[in-house]
Amino acid sequence: MTLLEFARGPGMQWALVIFLVGVAWRLVGTFLIARRRDLSKPKGTAYVKAGARSMIMRSIPPHELEKNIQFQHLTGYAWHLGFFATLLLFGPHVPFFQQFLGFGWPTLPNIVVLVIAGFTLAILIALVVRRIIHPVMRQISTLDDWIAVFLVIIPLVTGFLSYAHIGVMGVRYETLLGLHILSIEALLVWFPFSKLMHLFFTFPSRYQIGVSMERKGVKA
Amino acid sequence: MSAVATDIQRLREELRDRGATVKTTELPPAERVARVKEVFARRLDGNMATYLETCLHCGMCAEVCHFYEATGEGKYTPIYKVEPLRRFYRRELAPMGWLRKLVMRDITPADLDEWQKLVYDACTQCARCDMICPMGIQISPMIAVMREAIAEAGMQPAENKALAKEVLEKGTLMGVGPEDYRRVAADLAAQGIVVPLDKPKARVVMLMSAMDAMLFTSAIAATAKIMNRLGLDWTFRTNAGDAAVFDWTSGDERAKAAALRKIVAETVDAGASTLIVPECGHGYAAVRWDGANVVGAELPFEVLSISEFVGREIEAGRLKVKPLPAGKSVTYHDPCKIGRWSGVFEEPRSALKALGVEIREMESHAKTNYCCGGGAGLVLNERANKLRAGAFHIKMREADATGAGSVVTACGHCRMTFIAGAQHANWQKPIESLVELVAANLA
Ligand code: SF4
Ligand code: SF4
Repeated sequence: MTLLEFARGPGMQWALVIFLVGVAWRLVGTFLIARRRDLSKPKGTAYVKAGARSMIMRSIPPHELEKNIQFQHLTGYAWHLGFFATLLLFGPHVPFFQQFLGFGWPTLPNIVVLVIAGFTLAILIALVVRRIIHPVMRQISTLDDWIAVFLVIIPLVTGFLSYAHIGVMGVRYETLLGLHILSIEALLVWFPFSKLMHLFFTFPSRYQIGVSMERKGVKA
Repeated sequence: MSAVATDIQRLREELRDRGATVKTTELPPAERVARVKEVFARRLDGNMATYLETCLHCGMCAEVCHFYEATGEGKYTPIYKVEPLRRFYRRELAPMGWLRKLVMRDITPADLDEWQKLVYDACTQCARCDMICPMGIQISPMIAVMREAIAEAGMQPAENKALAKEVLEKGTLMGVGPEDYRRVAADLAAQGIVVPLDKPKARVVMLMSAMDAMLFTSAIAATAKIMNRLGLDWTFRTNAGDAAVFDWTSGDERAKAAALRKIVAETVDAGASTLIVPECGHGYAAVRWDGANVVGAELPFEVLSISEFVGREIEAGRLKVKPLPAGKSVTYHDPCKIGRWSGVFEEPRSALKALGVEIREMESHAKTNYCCGGGAGLVLNERANKLRAGAFHIKMREADATGAGSVVTACGHCRMTFIAGAQHANWQKPIESLVELVAANLA
């Protein structure tokens, strides 16, 4: 079995199993932890509305809070969009999904996706540099933060290399493609154990703060 | 130095000296860590678990915390202030904790030394950070858990220990107790202001604040004038103790619970349907949100802050005020515990509008208001002098930018911070109390 065959076959299957089981385990395990009953009289009780509102409004904070974090905010949005656009709208990726899902969808021209991916990579590198030099980021960063950003960068880099058919130090195209797929698998395997889980936790967490502040009569 | 600023400085020094005399047996380091973990295990719930699972380490919360803004030091990042709690959760409670234990170290006694300073000197529990986190993480309640854990390990600042000890053993605060409240009432009676004390039954119970009794008897007089003008059946209960529930800020849960039980019992005993907390943010938040949970049942009365009450009475047309001469402009400082913690934004503004003053809002106001820097006991914490001054500077800048003639607020704690901060920074802006402004202009 070549590296590419492994990556496309058992590698992907195992990665998906670990991803799905791990994500379910962590979500269920967290949501099963009991919540405290609050006996104080709430000021507001429109909980669902407040929770839904926070799920949306957290993306657009008031100016006086936003003004110091514009860079992080914009780069954050930009690279997430760039990453998912590259993953889902790149011509060569869609047949891959099709083989699992049985259906495909329209894609963007390759050159557009390549530009998007290039920007995404540039932003991620800028954010890594920021994590190294900014006093707050230095203070709060953990190993998980470094591994996560590394695992997001690597698929982009290997993707460029395999698309361009650039053999690095005599490594063949098939091997590069195999590495590209393996890098995605590494991301999937690491996902449930890491901060990447915020993909699933963000909205429940936003909902919670909306509800908890609604009790206090504050739109959060 | 203004008389009040001198008094505040004297209080700080007195508290520091008292702290120096509290005798406590230091617990062995391992015992401290064990106690901290015991509090964490008791306090962590599903909401906090979700929050602790979600943090991205994006650092945005730092950018809205006045202590980070004032210093530029990464250790003042809000979420970093709860790092031991996160560590405990991740290792011992979270799904996959057993896996993390292989790579993540445990909490050490040295951690507790470090975080003791971070949570007591560098957080006013103002909750501004709660408003920005893109993940919706509510950090300030977790800081309260950190404080409680540190207090349980006997590591809170000596001043706080002294206060908690006094509340538990004597039921007074800074030596102020029922006799002092009676003395204040007698002084006011001599000025013709009726202050009904300890009526066996009353529809409305009003709390006394020890800080007001020491520094701002004018606020007590103003409250009495308003209650009398409304013709209410009301009383001060001298045994209810101090409204500030100071231990809410010190993290000593036992002392806090004792103070709250007393307040609830006195109000129930009076058969009151309403309990009004004077201009004291902590007291209001403590009674409003923790009272029922401490006694384990819903409270049989409504809890209001005086600014909320006065605003409502004015809105309903029951309390009439006469407009001030045209041209007076003010900016309103929302006390964190009354505003962001308890949703009282409109009522104080209604009162100001009725007084005909021009309200010039600060850039950060209402739910995004900057804390004055003195909340959660920092105003009396000498160790925090520098940090507090930095935070106050931000507040001053925002207030100055409004061009308003004065700052009005509705919390004695904020008022103290403003007066002392203004003195320190040689800032000339007058600081006014909402209830006093209303009482001075009753129609
Ligand atoms: S802003 Fe929220 S997600 Fe970002 S570091 Fe602070 S707590 Fe974590
Ligand atoms: S509650 Fe206020 S002082 Fe404390 S960390 Fe958050 S923003 Fe800073």
